Amino acid sequence: MNLVLRFQTRPLSIGRSSAFITSSEQQPTTPQQFKGLKIVLADDDNVNRTVTKKLLEKLGCEVTAVASGFECLSTLSSENSVRVVILDLQMPEMDGFEVASRIRKFRSRNWPFIIALTASAEDNIWERCLQLGMNGVIRKPVLLQGMAEELRRVLQVAG
Amino acid sequence: MDRNQSHRQVATMKQSLFDQGYLDHEQFNQLEELQDDANPNFVEEVVTLYYRDSARLVHSIEQALEKSPIDFNKLDSYMHQFRGSSSSIGAKKVKAECSLFREYCRAGNGEGCMRTFQQVKKEYTALRKKLETFFQLARQAGPVDRARRPK
Repeated sequence: MNLVLRFQTRPLSIGRSSAFITSSEQQPTTPQQFKGLKIVLADDDNVNRTVTKKLLEKLGCEVTAVASGFECLSTLSSENSVRVVILDLQMPEMDGFEVASRIRKFRSRNWPFIIALTASAEDNIWERCLQLGMNGVIRKPVLLQGMAEELRRVLQVAG
Repeated sequence: MDRNQSHRQVATMKQSLFDQGYLDHEQFNQLEELQDDANPNFVEEVVTLYYRDSARLVHSIEQALEKSPIDFNKLDSYMHQFRGSSSSIGAKKVKAECSLFREYCRAGNGEGCMRTFQQVKKEYTALRKKLETFFQLARQAGPVDRARRPK
């Protein structure tokens, strides 16, 4: 099955999902399919953060959106039920790599899950993220389908 | 002008913005998909936010270009952000000029940066005018009945 193959090599969402997946393989994005999933979204760009937050809410997620790595860490320290952290890699002051390192220092690899957001086209981004204990990567600009698929993939791995 | 006609006008203008390369259809349609009864003006709000926020970036970039010597790292960082949010609203031509700018930046080519930045600003301003007209039309046409929205 294609899904398994992709999982072994790269995550589904490196690159824009619509470019890699034919329509016969695309699963429909049902509204509210991730109902109640608690997410912290960290992105310093107001426009990107606003759009990504709305996108996640459309999928049914409960989103706390913050503008910096610091705010992300402090939100996590006060909220234990956050299941997924979605993290822009290129933030000033504290970038996504730093935030992920700090999260993984005190928390297991599966709670919370960490998904990186990046506009970078570098090949080794996924490896770098993996090394730091992140669970997924999504290329910006984010599309609903790509986000849904990466969330599904990351959550399925946990079983 | 009846409602159907108004909606057709909006759709036609949107299609022409796609055809002329001003807007990325996938990204812009994505924004429209996020609009709902609770946020009926989401697209316009995001675009307004974009122009407000990016005005600061444009100013920072202009200042950085006037310095001597030019701090190319700083420039690249500003432009990365500008390109990112431009990309989020589907600003295709703006994004393309931003990419070109970053190439000159990485090559340490101040002249190239300055020239390209004039292009960035030109596309940025042109798009704003087009979108202002588009949103005006859309507001006049009223909310779209989602069940009947043409693909």
